[in-house]
This record gives sequence, structure tokens and C-alpha cells, in this order.
Amino acid sequence: MKRITIILIAISFAISVKSQNVDINGFVRNYTGIQYNNGNLNMLQNTLNINFEKMGDRVAFKANPMFYLYGIDSLDFRMREIYLDLYFDNVDIRIGKQQIVWGKADGVFITDIVSPLNLSEFLLPDFDEIRIGVYAAKINYYFGNSTIEAIWKPIYAGNEFPAPGSIWFKPPEFPAPPTFDYSKENINPSLENSEVYLKYSLSSSAIDFDLMGAYTWDQTASMYTEKEFEMDSMGNPILTGLLITPDHHRLTVAGGSFTTDIKGFVLRGEAAYYNGKYLQTADPTAEGALTQKDYLHYVVGLDYGIGNLKLSAQFIQKYIMDYNDFITEEEFGNTMTFLAHYDAMRETLHLELFSYVGLNYGDALIRPKVTYDYSDSFSILLGSNIFVGDKRGMFGRYDDNSMIYTKLKYSF
Amino acid sequence: MAQDMTAREIIEKVYNRPEGNDQTSNLTMTLINKSGKERIRNIKQFTKDMGEMEKNIMFFQSPADVKNTSFMSWTYDSDKNDDQWIYLPALKKVKRISSDSKSDYFMGSDFTYDDLGNRKIDDDTHQLLREEAIDGVDYYVVESISKDEDYMYSKTITWIRKDNFIGLKKEFYDEDEELLKTLKIKKFEEISGFLIITNSEMHNVQKNHKTRMVLSNININTGISDSKFTERIMMRGL
Repeated sequence: MKRITIILIAISFAISVKSQNVDINGFVRNYTGIQYNNGNLNMLQNTLNINFEKMGDRVAFKANPMFYLYGIDSLDFRMREIYLDLYFDNVDIRIGKQQIVWGKADGVFITDIVSPLNLSEFLLPDFDEIRIGVYAAKINYYFGNSTIEAIWKPIYAGNEFPAPGSIWFKPPEFPAPPTFDYSKENINPSLENSEVYLKYSLSSSAIDFDLMGAYTWDQTASMYTEKEFEMDSMGNPILTGLLITPDHHRLTVAGGSFTTDIKGFVLRGEAAYYNGKYLQTADPTAEGALTQKDYLHYVVGLDYGIGNLKLSAQFIQKYIMDYNDFITEEEFGNTMTFLAHYDAMRETLHLELFSYVGLNYGDALIRPKVTYDYSDSFSILLGSNIFVGDKRGMFGRYDDNSMIYTKLKYSF
Repeated sequence: MAQDMTAREIIEKVYNRPEGNDQTSNLTMTLINKSGKERIRNIKQFTKDMGEMEKNIMFFQSPADVKNTSFMSWTYDSDKNDDQWIYLPALKKVKRISSDSKSDYFMGSDFTYDDLGNRKIDDDTHQLLREEAIDGVDYYVVESISKDEDYMYSKTITWIRKDNFIGLKKEFYDEDEELLKTLKIKKFEEISGFLIITNSEMHNVQKNHKTRMVLSNININTGISDSKFTERIMMRGL
């Protein structure tokens, strides 16, 4: 009842602000998914997304509440964005909770590290729903074709992962019963704990590119692991437990991206150097089973269009510097993405095939979908998420979760 | 005098008919299928002639699923490909897109990018077929054949008013030389001293669907700032 009240309040609010010339748009969506292997309805989600926007010459605001109803009465409310914009001649300022998107890559996150990710349903939601809004002050200064963007993020927000019980939760295998100490999981908001991001970007006929730097927190906590031993009757140590303390570490990141048109092909590239990443290691001498390394993460992509057919491919590599064989993660992590999108029937029927392919283990996530725009406001989508390949890969490990799904969406 | 003009000179007059240095307008694009069902797109657009190039920016206002999407193109007088960018509000990102094919249809309409004015005079060879009068109005009838044999139209035939060089009707023939589409100018108006086509309709006669384009709230030579044609404005919107 309380949840219904929240929705009713939101709708009442929408009606009242509409009368003040606040622009309101959004969508209602039903999302139903069935797992192939057992026929379980693994997704029963109804969504109400409302955008309230008011645009003036010098000031604007936006509020974007989002309601996810799972099953019959499990309501998840998120204020995805709520911010104020101030416009000056060469400067724009945005203050509040906001999603910030950087970089030129599609479906991968290289320099796009300002907004953390909600991975509770892996990489399946639309990307605007994967990103989590952050509290930040963002200043953009424009001169010529260039922009300098500076972001101050005073409140830490980290990536969200599947909860135990979710089909996307894959608990790691521990050699002994673990105990968790969450005392270091939170980062108190303070000036000292703030994150700062800086980007220079240029948009021109020949090329669009940007250079970025960040002094940030690792958005995924590292697992500081202490081993607990007891002696057996022979006096030999036996591993009896693990004390795991999720802890956050600072990261310094520098990178950039570009996109340019070469004879009808759009070439894209993006790279970032991460300094100070803590990685899990089996090195018995490593404190907390962690080792600090730098790594390089980059993507190269090519887009091409032939009439209504759009094709795109990307190669992504993550390379850990100064590698040793104790490190749990591979030295090189190689992934490719492929996209084919075709519009038919005067852009009312859309056929799409997108796939991630993990090259290290030969696994993949294949995502075919067909969308029909029954009208300008109502669309019907039929799709499938197919996980295949080696279970050690990040896609193959979910091969029990392959599913078929529908999305019915009404936009207003 | 006029009767001494070559076909190329006539077409040049059509292509270079003055429309002001900049223009702001609302475009209502109505897609009509063969059963008469209509889909309407409302777009606010800004255009500026910057000498060697023309810049255009469009903001989609409706329907709801494309609201706040914007599209920017820089078109060059030279053979250089257009530069095009699209801003998709859901992605919160401006993307450069491929602009190799001018034969692509614009937003599911019956107009290709070429049909909307991006074609260059010397992409075709032009021939004056005849001069004729219809309902008391004198026309040049000019046939244009692409120099590119793989072009989507085998030829076009344009009826051009002698008095103002508006191509009032145009027929597009497919690669089999069958009539594919007919463009009719239904209305043109004098605005700020310039003749502007405000209502046109493209009819695909083979598939029997149509697209109607109506311009309204037209303002010319208001001195649109160069800064209007930037990523900043694409993302901010109107």
C-alpha cells in the first residue's frame, strides 16, 4: 500500500507540475523473461519512468524518478537524476544527482568511469539504466570547438552487484569458510574523500577527441583476505577460515578517446591507464592476498552503414602491467563486440544482433532482438539473451541464464 | 536570355536560389502509409550558410520516443563527405555517424538526404527536354542523369518554373527506369524577401506511401550564432 502511495504521489506531482509548464515525458514498460533451461519466469518487471524538465534561457532543471515493480509488490524506487543547470555565455554548471557519460566506446566502460554501474542484472539492462546517477558538481567551459569539463564528486558511489538469491549472483569458491568484515565498506563524504575528474574535448570536422584524467576511488571494492589457521595434532597448520574485508582504494586514471570518419567508415578508439589497482593474488607473501598493479584498458572500433543496415565491431583489451602468475586475473583480457542493426518498413521494424565475445575462453553473450513500433508511442520487442561457451569466461558462466524475453513499451 | 540557358544553368539557378544566410523553422513531417495511417514528427531546425559549408541542426520534439534527440550535419560545397552527429538522450552521448550514403532515407520518410538538398549540381548531367505551359505557368522540363551508374535513381525529371526557378514537380525513376517517386511542391511563400518552399509531398508510387513536409514559423537572416551548431547545444537542446 505504501508503495502504491509513492506512485500515486508521483503521478499527482506530475499532474500539478504539468500545469506549471514543466515538460513531462517518459515511458511505461513491461518486461517479461523466461529462462530456456527450466522455463522459470526470471524477469517480471513493470517500469514507470518519468522525466520532469523545465528549460529556461539561464536555468533549467530535471528530475527523473524511476519505479521498478518486480513481481506483484516488490517495488524499487530510484531517483535516477535530479539536478539544476545554470547557463552562462561560455560556461554551463550542473549541480545535483546526474548520470555522466564519457568516451566513444559502445557497451564497454574505459574512460566512462564517472557514473558507477548497476550490474545486478549483469550487462542486460539498457545502458542508461545500468549507469547510476552520482551527486556531483559539473562545470563545462566552452571555447571555440573545445570544451573543458571539470567534475567534483563529493559522495562516493560504487558499482552494484547481484545480491545472493539472484540468478546473476555467482559466489566465489573459498578454500575455507569466509567471514566478512564490512567496517571499511563505506567511504564517508568529506573533502578529503572527494573524487575529481577533468576532461578536455575537441569536436571538429576532421576528428572528435578527448583527453581525461581522474583521481577517483575504485568503484569495485577489493577483498582484503586474512587466513585463519589452527594446528592439527601433528603441529601442521590447517586453514580453518578466511576473514574478508571489502576495502576501497584510490585510483588515478588518465586516458582519452577519438572518433573520425574515413571514407564512410567511422573509426573509434578509447584508452585509459589505471594506476594503483588492487588485484587478487595467490602469492602467499602478499598482504591480504592483494597486489597493486597498473593496467591499460583500450578499445578500437569501426562503424559502417549501408542504407538501413548499420554494422559495428570493437576489439577491447585489458593488459595488466608487471604481471606475475599468482594474479587471479589473466594478463591479457580480450573481448570483441559485434553489432548489426537493420531498419525496415520505414523504420517501424528494427532487427538487431549484438554480441560480446570473450576471446580468452571462447565464450559469448549473443543478443538478437526484433522491435516493432506499432505506433509512435507503443513498441513491442521480442529478444533473447544467449550465453554460450566456457564457464570460466564472464559470459559462459551464465549459460544457465539464457533467456527469451519481451518488452512492451508505451512512451508519453 | 532565358531561352538560351543550358540545362545546367537552369539547374544551377534552382540549386542556388537564394534562401538567406540562415534560417530557423519548425518542420512537421507526416509519414502516410498506403492505408492512410499517419505518423507525425515535429522538428525544430536551424540552418546557416557559412560560405564553403552549410551547418544544420535539428531537434526532435515529438513523438515521445525520439524527443530531445538532435542531429547535426555540416555539408560542404566541395566533394568532402558531410560530417554528421546524433545525440541520443538515453545514451547521453553525441555520436559521430557515417555519412557515406546520400541515398539513405531520412528518418523513415520518402526523402533521401540527396532529395533534401544535399545533391551537387555536377553529380548529374542535365538535359533540357522541353519547355511547356501548364495552367498558364511556363516550365522548363529538365532530365538529370547521375554520373554514378550505381546511383539509386536512373534519372530524374524536374518541372522548373521559368519565373522563379522553383522545381515545382520532380519525378524519380528507379534503376529499371520505372517511376519510383513523385515530388510535388504544394506551397511556396515569400518570407523576408526570399522564396521558401513551405509545403511539399513525396509520393512513392511503387509502394504507395507518402511523406508530407510542412515548414512553419520561418525566420530568415536573424543572425544565428555559430555556437548554435555545437555538441553543447545538441546536448542541451532548445
